[in-house]
Amino acid sequence: MTVRTTKTLIAIALFVAAITPAAASAQQASKAAKAVQLIGLPGVKENAKGTLSVESGYLRFVHGNATCDVSTSSIQDVVSGDDSQKSVGKTVGAISMAAPYGGGRFLSLFRKKIDTLTVEYRDADGALHGAIFTMAVGTAEVIKKELIAQGAHTTARAEQGANAQSSSSNARDKEQKQ
Amino acid sequence: MKHLLQAGIFLCLPAVFSSSDLALLAGKEQPTKISTSSIQVVMIQSDETPVPAEFKVALYENLVRQLEKRGFQHVYREGDRNASSAADLIVLHSTVSSFKPGSEKAREVTTVAGATSISIHCQFTNSEGRPLLEQDVTGKVRFFGGNLRATYDFAKKASRIAYENFSPTNGK
Repeated sequence: MTVRTTKTLIAIALFVAAITPAAASAQQASKAAKAVQLIGLPGVKENAKGTLSVESGYLRFVHGNATCDVSTSSIQDVVSGDDSQKSVGKTVGAISMAAPYGGGRFLSLFRKKIDTLTVEYRDADGALHGAIFTMAVGTAEVIKKELIAQGAHTTARAEQGANAQSSSSNARDKEQKQ
Repeated sequence: MKHLLQAGIFLCLPAVFSSSDLALLAGKEQPTKISTSSIQVVMIQSDETPVPAEFKVALYENLVRQLEKRGFQHVYREGDRNASSAADLIVLHSTVSSFKPGSEKAREVTTVAGATSISIHCQFTNSEGRPLLEQDVTGKVRFFGGNLRATYDFAKKASRIAYENFSPTNGK
Protein backbone atom coordinates (compact mmCIF):
# COMPACT_ATOMS: atom_id res chain seq x y z
CA MET A 1 0.00 0.00 0.00
CA THR A 2 2.73 2.43 1.01
CA VAL A 3 4.83 1.44 -2.02
CA ARG A 4 1.89 2.16 -4.33
CA THR A 5 1.30 5.53 -2.65
CA THR A 6 4.98 6.41 -2.96
CA LYS A 7 4.96 5.46 -6.64
CA THR A 8 1.88 7.59 -7.21
CA LEU A 9 3.44 10.54 -5.43
CA ILE A 10 6.64 10.22 -7.47
CA ALA A 11 4.63 10.06 -10.67
CA ILE A 12 2.68 13.18 -9.71
CA ALA A 13 5.90 15.00 -8.77
CA LEU A 14 7.50 14.06 -12.10
CA PHE A 15 4.40 15.16 -13.99
CA VAL A 16 4.32 18.53 -12.19
CA ALA A 17 8.08 18.99 -12.78
CA ALA A 18 7.62 18.26 -16.48
CA ILE A 19 4.71 20.65 -16.81
CA THR A 20 6.11 23.63 -14.85
CA PRO A 21 8.76 24.90 -17.36
CA ALA A 22 6.28 24.62 -20.22
CA ALA A 23 3.71 26.59 -18.26
CA ALA A 24 6.30 29.22 -17.33
CA SER A 25 7.44 29.64 -20.92
CA ALA A 26 3.84 29.83 -22.07
CA GLN A 27 3.24 32.59 -19.50
CA GLN A 28 6.31 34.49 -20.70
CA ALA A 29 5.23 34.13 -24.31
CA SER A 30 1.79 35.47 -23.48
CA LYS A 31 3.38 38.66 -22.12
CA ALA A 32 5.01 39.54 -25.44
CA ALA A 33 2.66 40.93 -28.06
CA LYS A 34 3.19 41.97 -31.65
CA ALA A 35 2.84 45.74 -31.87
CA VAL A 36 3.46 48.73 -34.11
CA GLN A 37 5.14 51.75 -32.57
CA LEU A 38 3.45 54.73 -34.21
CA ILE A 39 5.54 57.47 -32.62
CA GLY A 40 7.46 58.37 -29.51
CA LEU A 41 10.24 55.94 -28.65
CA PRO A 42 13.70 57.47 -29.01
CA GLY A 43 15.80 55.77 -31.68
CA VAL A 44 12.87 53.85 -33.15
CA LYS A 45 11.40 54.83 -36.50
CA GLU A 46 7.73 55.73 -36.85
CA ASN A 47 5.43 52.82 -37.70
CA ALA A 48 8.08 50.30 -36.66
CA LYS A 49 6.82 46.75 -36.20
CA GLY A 50 8.11 44.77 -33.25
CA THR A 51 7.32 42.98 -30.03
CA LEU A 52 6.06 44.67 -26.90
CA SER A 53 6.45 43.08 -23.49
CA VAL A 54 6.64 43.90 -19.81
CA GLU A 55 9.66 42.29 -18.20
CA SER A 56 11.22 42.85 -14.76
CA GLY A 57 10.05 46.42 -14.33
CA TYR A 58 10.54 47.55 -17.93
CA LEU A 59 8.29 48.07 -20.93
CA ARG A 60 10.38 46.52 -23.70
CA PHE A 61 9.90 47.12 -27.42
CA VAL A 62 12.04 44.92 -29.66
CA HIS A 63 12.34 46.00 -33.28
CA GLY A 64 14.77 43.90 -35.31
CA ASN A 65 18.04 43.93 -33.41
CA ALA A 66 17.22 47.16 -31.57
CA THR A 67 15.66 47.12 -28.12
CA CYS A 68 14.07 50.07 -26.36
CA ASP A 69 13.34 49.88 -22.63
CA VAL A 70 11.18 52.21 -20.57
CA SER A 71 11.18 51.81 -16.81
CA THR A 72 7.67 51.19 -15.49
CA SER A 73 8.36 53.46 -12.50
CA SER A 74 8.94 56.37 -14.93
CA ILE A 75 5.56 55.87 -16.61
CA GLN A 76 3.18 58.51 -15.32
CA ASP A 77 0.20 57.63 -17.49
CA VAL A 78 -0.87 54.59 -19.47
CA VAL A 79 -4.12 54.55 -21.44
CA SER A 80 -5.58 51.85 -23.64
CA GLY A 81 -8.05 52.57 -26.42
CA ASP A 82 -9.47 51.13 -29.60
CA ASP A 83 -9.30 52.07 -33.24
CA SER A 84 -9.63 50.46 -36.65
CA GLN A 85 -7.43 50.12 -39.69
CA LYS A 86 -7.77 48.97 -43.28
CA SER A 87 -7.82 45.22 -43.78
CA VAL A 88 -6.18 45.57 -47.19
CA GLY A 89 -2.54 46.63 -46.96
CA LYS A 90 -1.08 50.01 -47.71
CA THR A 91 0.37 49.44 -51.20
CA VAL A 92 -2.47 47.27 -52.44
CA GLY A 93 -4.94 49.66 -50.84
CA ALA A 94 -3.38 52.66 -52.59
CA ILE A 95 -3.28 50.89 -55.97
CA SER A 96 -6.86 49.72 -55.54
CA MET A 97 -8.01 53.36 -55.37
CA ALA A 98 -7.42 53.46 -59.13
CA ALA A 99 -9.71 50.49 -59.70
CA PRO A 100 -12.76 51.26 -61.86
CA TYR A 101 -16.33 51.57 -60.61
CA GLY A 102 -15.26 52.41 -57.06
CA GLY A 103 -13.58 49.08 -56.43
CA GLY A 104 -11.00 50.69 -54.17
CA ARG A 105 -13.65 52.44 -52.14
CA PHE A 106 -15.44 49.14 -51.72
CA LEU A 107 -12.25 47.63 -50.25
CA SER A 108 -12.08 50.54 -47.79
CA LEU A 109 -15.26 49.24 -46.19
CA PHE A 110 -13.36 46.24 -44.84
CA ARG A 111 -11.58 47.26 -41.67
CA LYS A 112 -10.20 45.40 -38.68
CA LYS A 113 -10.33 46.55 -35.09
CA ILE A 114 -7.11 47.25 -33.23
CA ASP A 115 -6.11 48.29 -29.73
CA THR A 116 -4.03 51.35 -28.95
CA LEU A 117 -1.74 51.78 -25.99
CA THR A 118 -0.58 55.27 -25.09
CA VAL A 119 2.22 55.72 -22.60
CA GLU A 120 3.56 58.94 -21.06
CA TYR A 121 6.91 58.69 -19.29
CA ARG A 122 9.80 60.83 -18.09
CA ASP A 123 13.46 60.34 -18.93
CA ALA A 124 16.48 60.80 -16.63
CA ASP A 125 16.34 64.61 -17.06
CA GLY A 126 12.66 64.72 -16.16
CA ALA A 127 11.61 65.44 -19.75
CA LEU A 128 8.16 64.20 -20.71
CA HIS A 129 7.90 61.70 -23.57
CA GLY A 130 4.93 59.94 -25.08
CA ALA A 131 4.67 56.75 -27.10
CA ILE A 132 1.77 55.23 -29.03
CA PHE A 133 1.47 51.56 -29.95
CA THR A 134 -1.16 49.66 -31.90
CA MET A 135 -1.71 45.94 -31.44
CA ALA A 136 -4.25 43.17 -31.78
CA VAL A 137 -7.60 43.48 -30.03
CA GLY A 138 -7.50 42.51 -26.35
CA THR A 139 -3.75 42.80 -25.83
CA ALA A 140 -3.49 46.47 -24.84
CA GLU A 141 -5.54 45.98 -21.69
CA VAL A 142 -3.35 43.02 -20.63
CA ILE A 143 -0.14 45.02 -21.09
CA LYS A 144 -1.68 47.99 -19.30
CA LYS A 145 -2.56 45.83 -16.30
CA GLU A 146 0.95 44.37 -16.23
CA LEU A 147 2.45 47.85 -16.36
CA ILE A 148 0.29 49.04 -13.48
CA ALA A 149 1.14 45.92 -11.49
CA GLN A 150 4.83 46.68 -11.96
CA GLY A 151 4.63 50.30 -10.81
CA ALA A 152 3.27 52.38 -13.70
CA HIS A 153 0.75 55.10 -12.94
CA THR A 154 -2.49 55.84 -14.75
CA THR A 155 -5.00 58.66 -14.68
CA ALA A 156 -7.69 56.63 -16.42
CA ARG A 157 -8.67 54.88 -13.21
CA ALA A 158 -9.01 58.19 -11.35
CA GLU A 159 -11.08 59.62 -14.20
CA GLN A 160 -13.30 56.56 -14.20
CA GLY A 161 -13.70 56.92 -10.46
CA ALA A 162 -14.57 60.59 -10.81
CA ASN A 163 -17.06 59.80 -13.57
CA ALA A 164 -18.61 57.07 -11.47
CA GLN A 165 -18.83 59.44 -8.50
CA SER A 166 -20.41 62.19 -10.58
CA SER A 167 -22.91 59.78 -12.17
CA SER A 168 -23.81 58.34 -8.78
CA SER A 169 -24.24 61.83 -7.31
CA ASN A 170 -26.44 62.77 -10.30
CA ALA A 171 -28.53 59.67 -9.72
CA ARG A 172 -28.82 60.60 -6.03
CA ASP A 173 -29.91 64.15 -6.96
CA LYS A 174 -32.57 62.74 -9.27
CA GLU A 175 -33.81 60.42 -6.57
CA GLN A 176 -33.99 63.29 -4.11
CA LYS A 177 -35.95 65.42 -6.60
CA GLN A 178 -38.45 62.61 -7.07
CA MET B 1 -15.27 121.35 -68.88
CA LYS B 2 -14.46 117.76 -69.84
CA HIS B 3 -10.72 118.51 -69.84
CA LEU B 4 -11.00 120.17 -66.46
CA LEU B 5 -12.65 117.04 -64.99
CA GLN B 6 -9.96 114.79 -66.45
CA ALA B 7 -7.22 117.02 -65.06
CA GLY B 8 -8.90 116.93 -61.64
CA ILE B 9 -9.01 113.12 -61.63
CA PHE B 10 -5.41 112.97 -62.80
CA LEU B 11 -4.31 115.23 -59.95
CA CYS B 12 -6.28 113.30 -57.34
CA LEU B 13 -4.85 109.87 -58.27
CA PRO B 14 -1.40 110.26 -56.63
CA ALA B 15 -2.99 111.43 -53.40
CA VAL B 16 -5.30 108.37 -53.35
CA PHE B 17 -2.44 105.94 -54.01
CA SER B 18 -0.13 107.53 -51.48
CA SER B 19 -2.77 107.26 -48.76
CA SER B 20 -3.47 103.60 -49.66
CA ASP B 21 0.26 102.86 -49.57
CA LEU B 22 0.44 104.36 -46.11
CA ALA B 23 -2.45 102.21 -44.98
CA LEU B 24 -0.74 99.09 -46.34
CA LEU B 25 2.47 99.98 -44.58
CA ALA B 26 0.57 100.48 -41.35
CA GLY B 27 -1.02 97.02 -41.78
CA LYS B 28 2.31 95.36 -42.46
CA GLU B 29 3.98 96.84 -39.45
CA GLN B 30 5.38 93.98 -37.44
CA PRO B 31 6.74 93.78 -33.91
CA THR B 32 10.46 93.37 -33.49
CA LYS B 33 11.47 89.78 -34.10
CA ILE B 34 12.88 87.79 -31.21
CA SER B 35 15.58 85.32 -32.16
CA THR B 36 16.23 82.29 -30.04
CA SER B 37 17.71 78.88 -30.52
CA SER B 38 15.94 77.31 -27.52
CA ILE B 39 12.28 76.42 -27.35
CA GLN B 40 10.38 74.34 -24.84
CA VAL B 41 7.20 72.47 -25.66
CA VAL B 42 4.63 72.00 -22.92
CA MET B 43 2.24 69.05 -23.06
CA ILE B 44 -1.00 69.85 -24.89
CA GLN B 45 -3.80 70.89 -22.54
CA SER B 46 -7.32 69.66 -23.22
CA ASP B 47 -9.23 70.38 -20.04
CA GLU B 48 -12.32 71.88 -21.69
CA THR B 49 -12.32 69.83 -24.89
CA PRO B 50 -11.86 66.11 -24.32
CA VAL B 51 -9.33 64.60 -26.70
CA PRO B 52 -8.19 60.93 -26.83
CA ALA B 53 -4.85 60.28 -25.13
CA GLU B 54 -3.23 59.14 -28.37
CA PHE B 55 -4.10 62.46 -30.03
CA LYS B 56 -2.54 64.44 -27.17
CA VAL B 57 0.66 62.44 -27.26
CA ALA B 58 0.83 62.50 -31.07
CA LEU B 59 0.38 66.30 -31.07
CA TYR B 60 3.15 66.71 -28.53
CA GLU B 61 5.61 64.31 -30.16
CA ASN B 62 4.99 65.63 -33.68
CA LEU B 63 5.44 69.19 -32.44
CA VAL B 64 8.81 68.35 -30.87
CA ARG B 65 9.97 66.57 -34.04
CA GLN B 66 8.86 69.33 -36.40
CA LEU B 67 10.55 72.02 -34.28
CA GLU B 68 13.76 70.00 -34.32
CA LYS B 69 13.48 69.74 -38.11
CA ARG B 70 13.01 73.52 -38.38
CA GLY B 71 16.52 74.05 -37.05
CA PHE B 72 16.05 75.09 -33.44
CA GLN B 73 19.27 74.07 -31.68
CA HIS B 74 17.57 73.02 -28.47
CA VAL B 75 14.02 71.75 -28.31
CA TYR B 76 13.22 71.00 -24.70
CA ARG B 77 10.34 68.86 -23.57
CA GLU B 78 8.07 69.58 -20.62
CA GLY B 79 9.87 69.11 -17.31
CA ASP B 80 13.37 68.98 -18.81
CA ARG B 81 15.79 70.20 -16.12
CA ASN B 82 18.28 71.43 -18.75
CA ALA B 83 15.78 74.05 -19.95
CA SER B 84 16.32 76.18 -16.83
CA SER B 85 19.86 77.01 -17.91
CA ALA B 86 18.92 77.92 -21.50
CA ALA B 87 19.28 81.56 -22.51
CA ASP B 88 16.35 83.33 -24.25
CA LEU B 89 14.10 80.33 -23.81
CA ILE B 90 10.69 80.48 -25.45
CA VAL B 91 7.92 78.27 -24.13
CA LEU B 92 5.11 76.99 -26.34
CA HIS B 93 1.80 76.37 -24.57
CA SER B 94 -0.95 74.66 -26.57
CA THR B 95 -4.59 74.33 -25.58
CA VAL B 96 -7.16 72.39 -27.60
CA SER B 97 -10.12 74.62 -28.44
CA SER B 98 -12.10 72.28 -30.68
CA PHE B 99 -11.84 68.69 -31.86
CA LYS B 100 -13.74 66.80 -34.53
CA PRO B 101 -12.66 63.13 -34.61
CA GLY B 102 -13.83 62.39 -38.16
CA SER B 103 -13.62 58.95 -39.74
CA GLU B 104 -11.00 57.47 -42.04
CA LYS B 105 -13.55 55.00 -43.39
CA ALA B 106 -16.01 57.78 -44.27
CA ARG B 107 -13.22 59.76 -45.96
CA GLU B 108 -12.14 56.86 -48.12
CA VAL B 109 -15.62 55.81 -49.10
CA THR B 110 -17.18 59.22 -49.74
CA THR B 111 -14.12 61.51 -50.25
CA VAL B 112 -16.03 64.55 -49.00
CA ALA B 113 -17.19 63.44 -45.55
CA GLY B 114 -15.38 62.37 -42.40
CA ALA B 115 -12.68 65.04 -42.14
CA THR B 116 -10.72 65.10 -38.89
CA SER B 117 -10.03 68.55 -37.50
CA ILE B 118 -8.34 69.84 -34.36
CA SER B 119 -8.02 73.52 -33.45
CA ILE B 120 -5.39 74.51 -30.96
CA HIS B 121 -4.62 77.85 -29.36
CA CYS B 122 -0.84 78.29 -29.34
CA GLN B 123 0.77 80.75 -26.98
CA PHE B 124 4.46 81.53 -27.09
CA THR B 125 5.82 83.01 -23.86
CA ASN B 126 9.24 83.83 -22.50
CA SER B 127 10.67 81.91 -19.54
CA GLU B 128 8.94 84.29 -17.10
CA GLY B 129 5.56 83.61 -18.67
CA ARG B 130 5.13 86.90 -20.52
CA PRO B 131 3.14 86.28 -23.74
CA LEU B 132 5.06 87.00 -26.94
CA LEU B 133 2.74 85.63 -29.60
CA GLU B 134 -0.69 83.98 -29.67
CA GLN B 135 -2.26 82.23 -32.62
CA ASP B 136 -4.89 79.60 -33.39
CA VAL B 137 -3.67 76.69 -35.49
CA THR B 138 -5.85 74.01 -37.09
CA GLY B 139 -4.69 70.56 -38.04
CA LYS B 140 -6.79 68.73 -40.63
CA VAL B 141 -6.94 65.54 -42.61
CA ARG B 142 -9.45 65.77 -45.44
CA PHE B 143 -8.86 62.96 -47.91
CA PHE B 144 -6.15 60.40 -47.24
CA GLY B 145 -4.54 59.06 -44.10
CA GLY B 146 -5.49 58.08 -40.59
CA ASN B 147 -7.08 60.42 -38.08
CA LEU B 148 -3.77 60.96 -36.30
CA ARG B 149 -2.41 62.62 -39.43
CA ALA B 150 -4.22 65.77 -38.32
CA THR B 151 -1.69 66.03 -35.49
CA TYR B 152 1.14 66.01 -38.03
CA ASP B 153 -0.58 68.77 -40.01
CA PHE B 154 -0.94 70.87 -36.85
CA ALA B 155 2.70 70.31 -35.89
CA LYS B 156 3.93 71.42 -39.29
CA LYS B 157 1.88 74.62 -39.17
CA ALA B 158 2.80 75.47 -35.57
CA SER B 159 6.49 74.84 -36.20
CA ARG B 160 6.35 77.12 -39.23
CA ILE B 161 4.91 79.91 -37.06
CA ALA B 162 7.70 79.37 -34.52
CA TYR B 163 10.29 79.38 -37.27
CA GLU B 164 8.98 82.55 -38.90
CA ASN B 165 8.78 84.46 -35.64
CA PHE B 166 11.59 83.19 -33.47
CA SER B 167 14.17 81.19 -35.39
CA PRO B 168 17.61 82.82 -35.70
CA THR B 169 18.23 81.04 -39.00
CA ASN B 170 15.16 82.64 -40.60
CA GLY B 171 16.48 85.58 -42.58
CA LYS B 172 13.31 87.73 -42.30
